[in-house]
Amino acid sequence: MQTTEIILRDNGTLTERVIRERNLNAEESVLEALTEGMTRNLRNVFTLPDWGSVHANVGSTDAVWTVVINRIPLHARFRLSNNVLVPAFASNTDVELPLIWHAPKEVRLAFVVRTESEGDCVRVCGNWLFACDGDNRGYRLPLPNLHDDCLICTGNFAEHHATGQECVTASLEQFRKSKWNADLMRTIEKSQQFFRFQPTNDTFDTLPIAVTDWTTLCDKVSTHIMERVIL
Amino acid sequence: MKNITVKYGVDSITKQVEDSFTFGDLQENDSFQAALGFGDRTKALVEGIEQDRGTVIPSGATVRLETAANTKA
Repeated sequence: MQTTEIILRDNGTLTERVIRERNLNAEESVLEALTEGMTRNLRNVFTLPDWGSVHANVGSTDAVWTVVINRIPLHARFRLSNNVLVPAFASNTDVELPLIWHAPKEVRLAFVVRTESEGDCVRVCGNWLFACDGDNRGYRLPLPNLHDDCLICTGNFAEHHATGQECVTASLEQFRKSKWNADLMRTIEKSQQFFRFQPTNDTFDTLPIAVTDWTTLCDKVSTHIMERVIL
Repeated sequence: MKNITVKYGVDSITKQVEDSFTFGDLQENDSFQAALGFGDRTKALVEGIEQDRGTVIPSGATVRLETAANTKA
């Protein structure tokens, strides 16, 4: 469409202004370009019976799933130190036990899965484990098998699944059944102050963390994945 | 001197630094490290773009530091 306007200016001159309008078929591509880096938070997308609610941060090419967990399966080697059972990840001789460490309420654990769609299926692109304080600061726990950015060294498991929910379920199952070894290990002292158990008659109770401020045993982290965690 | 703002996770700090202050200087600076709690392995980003350690930080810039991923030995 074209319209023509004749403008009479204050100084007496006449000006012709031609306005031409046409619709551009670029809405979708422009919108996609403008929102390329934007993500959306969706809470309580689904619930996993053994773990709880799963939240999703959805981007244009991927999704980051957060499961707020309250325990860590610690299948590792342990030794008794002053009547307290502590991990000995690098040991080959101490007893191997599948213990469950229960997090105190001040330590919020986020198990995170990033997925991407590939054709008809969804692929697991990584698992992360973050510990968070009350102000949503992220920390790397004093555990082996965790990279500096809290990416978990999971070992191999099937990464292609039909849905995002199956990806999260498979990741948590791998997390549950994996053994912790000494790969990516730092100092064992911090691990042994953090993860402590009291042997009782028929079980092992989680003991409080040995220091007042648990974050002093961890490394503070800031990553683009952590930014997408929903607590 | 110039002002820069540095973010690490949910924490941030604005400080005055020398005009020649680079991204590498920031990543090794004890004062910023103590205030924000980052470690030895970081990457520096401006507007989501990773910056070279030798580049001088522009005055007034907001720098986001992120934990750099290590690899298994």
